Amino acid sequence: MDELYLDNIDEFVNDHNKIVTYKWLSLTLGVHVNVAKQMLYHYLEQRRQDRSAIPLHATYLVSGKRVDNGSPYHKVAIVREDKLEDVKSKMDPAISIHVYSVQKAELKDSSPLYSTDYDAVKENLKNCNKYSAVRYAAAVPLSVAESQHVQETASEEVGSKSTSHYSNAVASKPNTKVKKGIIGMFAIKNPPKNQDSNKDIKLEQKETASTIEPAKKKEDGTTTIVNRFGKNTKIQEKGADKVQTSVDVECSKSPNSPTCIKKEEPADSKAFNEKKKDVRSKTKRDDYSDSDNETIENQKKRRRRIKPQTHSSSGDDGVQDSPTLPDCPVKTELLSCSETFSEDKRRKRRRVLKSHTFVDDEGCMVTEKGYQSESYSESDDNTKANQKKTAIKPSVGKKEDQHKCQKKAMIVSNKVAKQASIMGFFQKK
Amino acid sequence: MFSDTVVQKESTLLGPPGPAEPVFERETLSYTSCCDRFQLGERSFNRQYAHIYAARLIQMRGVLEQRAQKMWGEERGPIPIRKLGDLKIGEQCVIVGTVFKHMELQPSILREISEEHNLLPQPPRAKYISQSDELILEDELQRIRLEGSIDTAMFVTGTVIAVKGAERNDGKFTVEDFCLSDLPEQPPRQRLESNRFVLLASGFSLGGTSADSMLGLQLLVDMVTGHLGDQGEQSSMASISRILLAGNLLSRNTQNKDSNKAKYLTKKTQAGSVEAVRLLDELLVQLVASVPVDVMPGQYDPTNYTLPQQPLHRCMFPLSNPYPTLQLVTNPYQACVDGVRFLGTSGQNICDIVKYSSMDDHLEVLERTLRQRHLAPTAPDTLGCYPFYQSDPFIVDVCPHVYFSGNAPCYQSKRITGPEGQDVLLVTIPEFSSTQTACLINLRTLECEQIRFSSFSTEDNEETEMNVKYLGPAT
Repeated sequence: MDELYLDNIDEFVNDHNKIVTYKWLSLTLGVHVNVAKQMLYHYLEQRRQDRSAIPLHATYLVSGKRVDNGSPYHKVAIVREDKLEDVKSKMDPAISIHVYSVQKAELKDSSPLYSTDYDAVKENLKNCNKYSAVRYAAAVPLSVAESQHVQETASEEVGSKSTSHYSNAVASKPNTKVKKGIIGMFAIKNPPKNQDSNKDIKLEQKETASTIEPAKKKEDGTTTIVNRFGKNTKIQEKGADKVQTSVDVECSKSPNSPTCIKKEEPADSKAFNEKKKDVRSKTKRDDYSDSDNETIENQKKRRRRIKPQTHSSSGDDGVQDSPTLPDCPVKTELLSCSETFSEDKRRKRRRVLKSHTFVDDEGCMVTEKGYQSESYSESDDNTKANQKKTAIKPSVGKKEDQHKCQKKAMIVSNKVAKQASIMGFFQKK
Repeated sequence: MFSDTVVQKESTLLGPPGPAEPVFERETLSYTSCCDRFQLGERSFNRQYAHIYAARLIQMRGVLEQRAQKMWGEERGPIPIRKLGDLKIGEQCVIVGTVFKHMELQPSILREISEEHNLLPQPPRAKYISQSDELILEDELQRIRLEGSIDTAMFVTGTVIAVKGAERNDGKFTVEDFCLSDLPEQPPRQRLESNRFVLLASGFSLGGTSADSMLGLQLLVDMVTGHLGDQGEQSSMASISRILLAGNLLSRNTQNKDSNKAKYLTKKTQAGSVEAVRLLDELLVQLVASVPVDVMPGQYDPTNYTLPQQPLHRCMFPLSNPYPTLQLVTNPYQACVDGVRFLGTSGQNICDIVKYSSMDDHLEVLERTLRQRHLAPTAPDTLGCYPFYQSDPFIVDVCPHVYFSGNAPCYQSKRITGPEGQDVLLVTIPEFSSTQTACLINLRTLECEQIRFSSFSTEDNEETEMNVKYLGPAT
């Protein structure tokens, strides 16, 4: 055994050209840190006696009491061998001196020592103090279940104290969520959220890619317009008279399309707002000004409803020790709210989503197309829908809007399949 | 002295491996956290800040009136204590109120954005005091300008004081003397049999640009966990019963937002604090596996900015979280360790007072805050603070035995005694990253000393030491 570790160290130092610190050696060979220090010292002594060997460099750790401007302090220093005596003499007295590291090259500065130890420690983070000289019995990592229990009890204590502060139950709910522990949050809350957010993100991307929400309408407009232009140019070549007629057509059409857009926007914007909140994306809406007062009202209402959720999110950010309620009631509460919320949102989102998907790629979503055809019949009610959109029946308004959009989208898709012609545009009217 | 407690025989490490090495057991001390008052349950930011000042004045008035009677009323019978509304011109009396310091140079967002003035943005200053500053005393109803023998520059907004003097014809109050509420009552300290230590450190500044301090940090960790040193030192290290990290564990650089970068370039970049928190977790796991650690957040740490800062979230420390020895605590921190009462902050309150008063020395400011019984008088004026309304948790109602502040430019400590024989150790904990210094407090004797770490670099060893030493006060 005696000679074995010498060989080992020799291999590390000479063959692997490593910086061998006492800590690295202790972790690598699995020996007590003090033994590792002694091994290094022993190895160094043996090498030094052997004249033929390559010169080795060592660093030492010196600690002790020093006095500076009359005030004593405890000093811990890593020094190179050549400075050892110097530093030692300044200590009064030196308490500990031991080899810190041995290496072949001379160290210009001490940072390599840190990186050597860092790598070794990182591999052994779970039991990094296994070979140290100080043991603390109480420092035993708890299992996941235990730690959760501890956290919960702690949070319950805090919760019981602070719940009295809560003015409304809504506020406390989010916090309770937090309490369940991070894991709980991720497990329960996130799945539905993620899905939603994914959808939302898709939506948003599409929206940004195309020219924003009233995509169907605009798309209708754009495609038709493009067609028109294409024809117009042809027509222009043919004769000026026809140009006028085509312009007329455009004009007659254009009044229609803006109204459509308006109608659409409220629904879209509402939905969009909700999405925004869910995803907490930073995309800003520019069209607030466009939407009517009604929509703003609606938005406000929506916001109010959503509040609990946003609250909870902000609560998440907060301190882990914020108050919590006991586990089971919390869960049920959570589930129930999330369900209700998700239901509401899903409906709205789906609608919006469909409309958008139509715009971008028609082939993907067959089911959506079916939906559109059904709604097509209601398209005439657009104006009614607008009127109905008062605060009382926001949902109806939206639906109809949607239907409208879908109608148009349908037309578009049909046309696309056939290769759109001017006729489609007339048919619409 | 810590070094003196080390019983060292001969050096045991400069020789071939000997018999089995000893392992020293660390003791568990009684520990009670008293941080409840700094925990925020509800968080409502809708309230105005006026409530804090009102609550503060109500809570402090009684104490100050007593103090004033004791100080000035003993020679010639009780001295009248007036409210500002009842002042009679020329009558000598005592008034109690909150100081408001009117400062020309105090940055004001309203002034900055007002277009009428068209002011250039003011450069940030180290100090915002000027000759033209004026002191105004406010009570519940009124305010009055203070003049006379009172050092304007020493005071900061928010301090509650009692002032003796008389109102003049011009409506100003001529001050003859003033008094602070001074130290509150102190519970007696247990007599300890053996030397036990608590180690205080702050300002690790992980994730900063300079990695030089990392070896020093690792030495600190290795020392406490019983890796470094000889048997004698290791056995003494086992008597370190708790570590308190007083904020700014992450560097200020981790907060940079790279605002000038195009947004699409920042899409997949990680916040600088992520890596730094991981580093911190790795350091903490080494510590908590061997010793109880209390972690306070600081100005640059990822938690709320306003005082009281809430504990860092456990989910940031997946490695060290399972250990029951890891305690994440609030920023003003209060706890009883083995009968010794600790109170302190990560240093924001002190730094803020330094900016708004003539005092430069962190220790001096620290003593002052204790003598006026308020941790952070400048909150909410110039220091971020939660809008409390029923009580002001920053009032020191029980005198601590150890009163500290973190992230000071250099290490200082002092023992002060109060009028009723209170005995308090004041400590300013230096920023570790720039000074490589931590503080060790002996719970038995209430003595404090520094531990300095050094390593060598390309220059001479002695030189780097000197650099470190003089860097401290300068920064």
